[in-house]
Amino acid sequence: MRLTVLGGYLGSGKTTWLRHQLHEGALADAFVVVNEAAETPVDDVLLTRSSRIAVLAGGCACCTARADLLTLLKGICDERSRTASGDERLQRIVLETSGLADPGPIVEAIRADPILVHHIVVSEIIVAIDALHALAQLRGEPLGRRQVEIADRLIVTKVDAAEEAALARLLATLHTINPGAAISGAVKGSEVALPSWADAEPESLPDLSGDGERPAIFPTKLVIDETIDWTAFSVWLSALLHARGDDVMRVKGVVRTPAGRLLVQSVRKIVQSPEIVPEQVDGERREDNTIVVIGRGYRGDDLRKSLRHFAGQR
Amino acid sequence: MCASCGFPAAAGHWTEAGASTAPDRLRARFRRAEVLKAVLPSYGLTAHDGAQVPGIQLSTLSGSHTIVRDLEEVWATAEKLTGSPIDPLDPRFIGGE
Repeated sequence: MRLTVLGGYLGSGKTTWLRHQLHEGALADAFVVVNEAAETPVDDVLLTRSSRIAVLAGGCACCTARADLLTLLKGICDERSRTASGDERLQRIVLETSGLADPGPIVEAIRADPILVHHIVVSEIIVAIDALHALAQLRGEPLGRRQVEIADRLIVTKVDAAEEAALARLLATLHTINPGAAISGAVKGSEVALPSWADAEPESLPDLSGDGERPAIFPTKLVIDETIDWTAFSVWLSALLHARGDDVMRVKGVVRTPAGRLLVQSVRKIVQSPEIVPEQVDGERREDNTIVVIGRGYRGDDLRKSLRHFAGQR
Repeated sequence: MCASCGFPAAAGHWTEAGASTAPDRLRARFRRAEVLKAVLPSYGLTAHDGAQVPGIQLSTLSGSHTIVRDLEEVWATAEKLTGSPIDPLDPRFIGGE
């Protein structure tokens, strides 16, 4: 089963977006799990269009309610396993996190669970970004930044309410924090075009790590050329994540291997089972053999040198 | 769960995903052993994988050895044996002494 994690800061428009997707029938076959930190759930009322829904209220799934979430997911897996083979089986789960959740620990908890790891593949982390308030949140809230860092796809909501210059600045800032993520815009859940942010200056964000000594998180692009084979790369990356997993927050990219195009991604120390992705169709311009490593506490160039050293052992 | 050894069936380590045919898998195992053999000695360890039995054999210079299942266990065991993790960003691997 594929799990889509939908996160985003408080009031960033997660539910509105999801509701629209359900209305459009995009996720109609999905089991929707809504997590709310507050005791009284509201969002499920808005999401009546989904055929199957469960609410996890009164705790955040990345910390206090993590055990409850795992139990709930196991229940879903269990039910799916009991579906007769002729019947249609559940293929997709959408987890809408609370605004206080860091999607990272949730994904880690699922990958670390001995049962769920066999049933659930986290296919995408979508994070909703409030076009009006996100810059302030990014300036002052470590959580807001963590959410952006970890996303595969950023959906900037309430685009119609924001000034174009401020919006472009926000987009440039988001791109600086997480260059790997696809960014799209939405108004009440429907996709809208975003202005270009090529000329906008990204906001310089203050260091929020508390002690002021932690270096900034930055992305490094690694090109996997013909001298670097997948096996050597995987030996290198597994060692890197073992030694530096707390500093290397996200690794993502598509690598060509003898088995096909492989989508590799990790969240901190957890590596998602790589997925073989189809060949690109015309017009698709995903860069193959490029890996983005997002982290801190090392020099980007040292990553490249070290990878070359490992791959050069013949 | 495996009925003979009681070990939960592993989903296959992610590092093994790049090979889908038996010859590719064998090639990948030899290549993996080749890289490990080059990287580990500076930490006082050696690796061997003759592809005869499952797993990778890790040995210390004093001759004790252990068999591990995949790369994740290689690094975890190496850390246990040597007392510190094998860090790819260590100066010995990036050319700056």
